[in-house]
Amino acid sequence: MNIFESMSKIDRRIIYLILFIVATVPFLFKVEIPMKPTSDVVEAYNFINSLPEGSAVIISADYDASSMPELQPMLTAILRQLFSRNMRVLVMSHWALGVPLAQKAVEEVAREYGKKYGVDYVVLGYRPGLQAVMVSMGKDIPKTFDNVDYKNRPLKDMPVMQGIKNYDDIGVIIGFEAGSVGDFWAQFANARYGARIILGSTAVVAPDLYPYKQAGQIIAVLGGLRAAADYENLVHHKGTATYGMTTQAFVHFLIIAFIILGNIGYIATQRKRRS
Amino acid sequence: MISFVLAAIFSVRPSPIVDLKVMDNPNDEGGQIVLKWEYRKDADLSQISYIQIMRIDKMGTAPIVAEELKPTAKRYMDTDLKNGHPYRYFIRVWFKDGSYIDSAISPPVVPEAQWLHKDRIAALVILLLYGALLIYYLKKARKGERLTIRPIAGLQAVDDAVGRATEMGRPLLFVLGLGTVSDIATLAGLAILKRVAMKAAEYESDIIVPCFDPVVMAAAQETVKQGYLEAGRPDLYNEKNVYFLTNDQFGYAAGIDGIIMRQKPGAIFLQGAFYAESLIIAETGHSIGAIQIAGTSSVTQLPFLIAATDYTLIGEEMYAASAYLSRDPNSLATIKAEDWMKIIFIGLILVGAMLETVAGLTGNKSWSFIKTFFAGGAQ
Amino acid sequence: MKREIPLLISFIAGTLIVISLFVPHPPFNKMEETLNSWYIIVSGFTFILGIDSLLLYNWDKIRRKSKDWPFALTVILSFVVTLVWGIVSGVRTGHIFSTNSTFRNYFYLYIYVPLQATMFAILSFFIASAAYRAFRARSLNATLLLITASIIMLGRVPLGNAVLIPVLWIAVLLIAWVVLLEIKATTSASTRVGYILMLILMVVIAVPLTKFLYGNLSAATDWIMDIPQMAAKRGIMLGLALGGIAVSLRIILGIERSYMS
Repeated sequence: MNIFESMSKIDRRIIYLILFIVATVPFLFKVEIPMKPTSDVVEAYNFINSLPEGSAVIISADYDASSMPELQPMLTAILRQLFSRNMRVLVMSHWALGVPLAQKAVEEVAREYGKKYGVDYVVLGYRPGLQAVMVSMGKDIPKTFDNVDYKNRPLKDMPVMQGIKNYDDIGVIIGFEAGSVGDFWAQFANARYGARIILGSTAVVAPDLYPYKQAGQIIAVLGGLRAAADYENLVHHKGTATYGMTTQAFVHFLIIAFIILGNIGYIATQRKRRS
Repeated sequence: MISFVLAAIFSVRPSPIVDLKVMDNPNDEGGQIVLKWEYRKDADLSQISYIQIMRIDKMGTAPIVAEELKPTAKRYMDTDLKNGHPYRYFIRVWFKDGSYIDSAISPPVVPEAQWLHKDRIAALVILLLYGALLIYYLKKARKGERLTIRPIAGLQAVDDAVGRATEMGRPLLFVLGLGTVSDIATLAGLAILKRVAMKAAEYESDIIVPCFDPVVMAAAQETVKQGYLEAGRPDLYNEKNVYFLTNDQFGYAAGIDGIIMRQKPGAIFLQGAFYAESLIIAETGHSIGAIQIAGTSSVTQLPFLIAATDYTLIGEEMYAASAYLSRDPNSLATIKAEDWMKIIFIGLILVGAMLETVAGLTGNKSWSFIKTFFAGGAQ
Repeated sequence: MKREIPLLISFIAGTLIVISLFVPHPPFNKMEETLNSWYIIVSGFTFILGIDSLLLYNWDKIRRKSKDWPFALTVILSFVVTLVWGIVSGVRTGHIFSTNSTFRNYFYLYIYVPLQATMFAILSFFIASAAYRAFRARSLNATLLLITASIIMLGRVPLGNAVLIPVLWIAVLLIAWVVLLEIKATTSASTRVGYILMLILMVVIAVPLTKFLYGNLSAATDWIMDIPQMAAKRGIMLGLALGGIAVSLRIILGIERSYMS
């Protein structure tokens, strides 16, 4: 096999090995590429900053473990902004397995900022029946969750829930979306009750959410790892998204390099075959 | 004196609420009334503490507070009302100093259920048109007229793939994806499964169907059984080869990859609804050199499947599979009706785009009538 | 009868759902919701079928000591451990995902989550190998696809601009190479002239195109995604919707019955 033939038929295990190295190096050595935050991220950041201190914010973690690499750093970064501005955080989810992930993030960040459960944040948990839950929250949030938190402790005893009846008392709803729940936030919470919404999503889901942004139904769409990295940048706390973005860039370059190699090999071997 | 005081109260503070419109909520099952209002332009909203939506159920009785809202609200929908009963409303504005002012009382409004969802008339027209075309072609098919359908490479390859796997002495693997039995893609996948099962029975090959959903598993068992029966080899059918794997997306992908690596199937069919796991399965299948035929309605997964498999049925090609494979004239008639609908849609899109251009250029909105007609059905 | 009753059920249920789309008046308003609830209840019970199938299938493998039986044993053990651990932990702490639940702290966060993330991450390896294999300049269409894909990949990451120029020039050189090969291979003089003109045109276009893309990479990426990509996607989706109606009608009318025996 000559060089061109081997270029057109690189063993996939070699591709995997090189990709593995390229993907891990930025994490190990914390390589960082300078980026300018995208306008949507800045809009979301400024909007949250414009809310008065002590405002209540709903975090809806509508994702599970497989989308964690993209959405968890975004959630963590936003929580840092919320707690640094002393906002009250209400955690819920429309995906049953999203609750423990959001809970993990909120506990970690709350510890950093010395925030207390029940006073500064609460985990409302998961309630089945997507649209019905959103509509019901428009009327009475505590009642939607049966007036208890995820461990059946009464909400009326918690200072964090004081004065919260429905969406009117919520500064902003921030949904983290790996599926189609974001559409429902816009269609139900906003269209029916005028709730203010920011949606963070995986890169795949983001294009589906932009029409709501254009229609003015949501404030901003935070799309994928890039948005998470931008947010980390804005809250001055670099984490996995920032280094992940470097990895993503390097991996894209690597794939293009492989494609070019493959094509050189392909064209050369085709010529040989023809002659 | 009294008249003077009353006059003073009313003249000093007119209600900040103007233009209160109360109407029956359209296109619903009844029981709902919508209120819309504006604030007087010179009203100082910062002085308002909150507003109350007041409902009068019966003239002469005390009004009931239907809801308390912030003074920024301009719309409210009252629910859980009795159909056929008249309701009147007014809005009570509470000021920070503890006083309040009521707006004018609305005329009575009766909530009612509607028999036709007016926003969906466009969809109904399309459906009726489709139905008419369908009946026309079904009649034609019954008369024995031959309906033809273009060759679909991926479906033509099904028989060859089964044959090749048999020659290699390897089993067949059929993956129905993550859909439930109510997904059209899964149903279309089952139709292809039946054909594959028939061929597998003919060639005495094994067919493995690991399932994501228990209902789909039950349907797949029936389908494979029926395929073996129609091929005249019910004795070869082994129910244990159609089994439930897991209801977890990546667990399913991992399980399928394991089956591919251990059992090395000669042909792999990926037919159904797929998400991020599509490429994980298809690349593993490629790595063992299996011939792969994919088909899905998940538009975002199509590029991956096209890149990694030998044949891909793109969306509706997959839906046409059962008609294509069975050549049943009734099924072909539905495809024929579908094709005509598509031509009508293309025509509508072209005419609509032209009319919108004219509307944009002339500034005359009446040219947008096609858009207006169809926009109602957008929800 | 075994066939007719299910067909009748499909017909009635399907027709009711279609009617309920257009008629908001009771009793049609709750029809879809009611039928969906029935489906959820029925499918809940079918999980027993699923578990039965899973356990029997794997138990059978172990019993017969068939090839790879340790895998089957792993499946059964994992199933039992997850189930028992989850129930015990949930009962002891009040909620399966309580902060002090061992199921959450050990099993969920440190076994389940990493396993999920790993499977998802494998995707990037497979994308690389699939892209390497699929993106070959086999034809004009394939070449266009290849160039577009490269622009998108560069446009979506930081520093994409820096890599853009060499990549584009390599692409241009590769195409020129292919065209030259074609010129050499062809015997007709007119075709040859055509190819030479194409080559000149390409080189002329390449310079301003590269310049333009260098300044507007992110805008160009968005344009490709919003216009040509979206147009193709909508075309497929339109076909899917119409095809979906055709399949649904076939099922409602009992023409399509391959899903039942």
